[in-house]
Amino acid sequence: MASPVPPQKHFGGDIAFVPSSSSSAPSFPALSPLQNAYNRFSTWRSSLGLTNPGSVENLQKEVKNTHLTNFIFDGARADLMKGLSMDPAFQVTHSFSLASQTMPPSYSFGAVFANQQLFLQGNVDHDGNLSGRFNQGWSPTNVTKMQMQLGTTPGHSMIQLEHDYQGADYSLNGKVINPSPTDGSGIYVGSYLQSVTRNLALGFETLHQRSTPELTETSTSYVAKLMGTNSDWIATAHIQPIGVLQATYWHKLSEKVEAAADLQLIAAPQRRDAIATLGAKYDLRMSTFRAQVDSTGKVSALLEQRFAPTFSFTVAGEIDHFKNAAKVGVGVMIESSSLTPEEMGMMMPPGPPPV
Amino acid sequence: MPSEETKERIIRAIDFGRTVLHYGWIPYIIFVGYTRSNPQPSLIKLMSPLA
Repeated sequence: MASPVPPQKHFGGDIAFVPSSSSSAPSFPALSPLQNAYNRFSTWRSSLGLTNPGSVENLQKEVKNTHLTNFIFDGARADLMKGLSMDPAFQVTHSFSLASQTMPPSYSFGAVFANQQLFLQGNVDHDGNLSGRFNQGWSPTNVTKMQMQLGTTPGHSMIQLEHDYQGADYSLNGKVINPSPTDGSGIYVGSYLQSVTRNLALGFETLHQRSTPELTETSTSYVAKLMGTNSDWIATAHIQPIGVLQATYWHKLSEKVEAAADLQLIAAPQRRDAIATLGAKYDLRMSTFRAQVDSTGKVSALLEQRFAPTFSFTVAGEIDHFKNAAKVGVGVMIESSSLTPEEMGMMMPPGPPPV
Repeated sequence: MPSEETKERIIRAIDFGRTVLHYGWIPYIIFVGYTRSNPQPSLIKLMSPLA
């Protein structure tokens, strides 16, 4: 047994505890072959020069940011945002929305606080429905998150607890949704994404659903992510065992133009369907323009125009050619600040931890 | 396995915690933001949409 630290004899031959002088020296001589093998393995692993692939949850982040599905709205909207502090970031928002075809008129109040470790966000509407987020970063690689939706109607509440670990070449994430300590019911999700080469990452996500202690269901979906060498393009695939495949492709065409395509195939026994979406985003000096067309006959566009640093104007439009329907949205966003220009220029706000 | 009485108590505690979170979350963020902001904002600026 090749041990760098000889076992110490002590009181009748017992192997005494050897305090490790350096991190590579094994604490227990009996474990040293394992430790050596592990050290050799991790040296080999770091020599591959793999980078962190990002989490499974953020697999399609670039595509979602290019497409306007998450940004479109209809009716009229006004957001009054008030920055009260830059470092730590603290702002409150009053939002009003009305004349939407799908949503009743609403008012909501939001507050955000963020510093290097902590991120707190809350939003409450006029009916008293609360949604909140809490992120605590323990170290740059370890983040604990909590998300909640608490409604005034019983049975509509949701609490999600999550822990994220970002390793050197892998990401690990565990999630619990609505856990019940009395009967262990809830939804449990674990996901792992590992860089295999510099351009390819493979991973899986396992979902364990426990509605009652007797009725449980487990399903695993697999993900793959292929990246360009200088990450100017990303292709992803997500396969679920019930017969759903989602494939996306994102390409940064230039500094200001990004294009993304998304294909969703459902091949379940009772339902066969496919939707393809193609979109582009232009980042201009004072505006952002997103346009999108999909295979269900919808053409939509969204323009965010910033007229002054504190005032921006948004126009959204969507035409459904197959159903002969249209939606139009107009929004204004006014940002006011209680800070003087000197205080504003003092410090840039720290970005909130990755969500 | 906990007894029925303990279960009942746990469920009641969770319900209470949820209510506290529901009404206390926004005030908590405002309190944290108000006390740690630099410089400290005035309360009227904090709440009113127009000020």
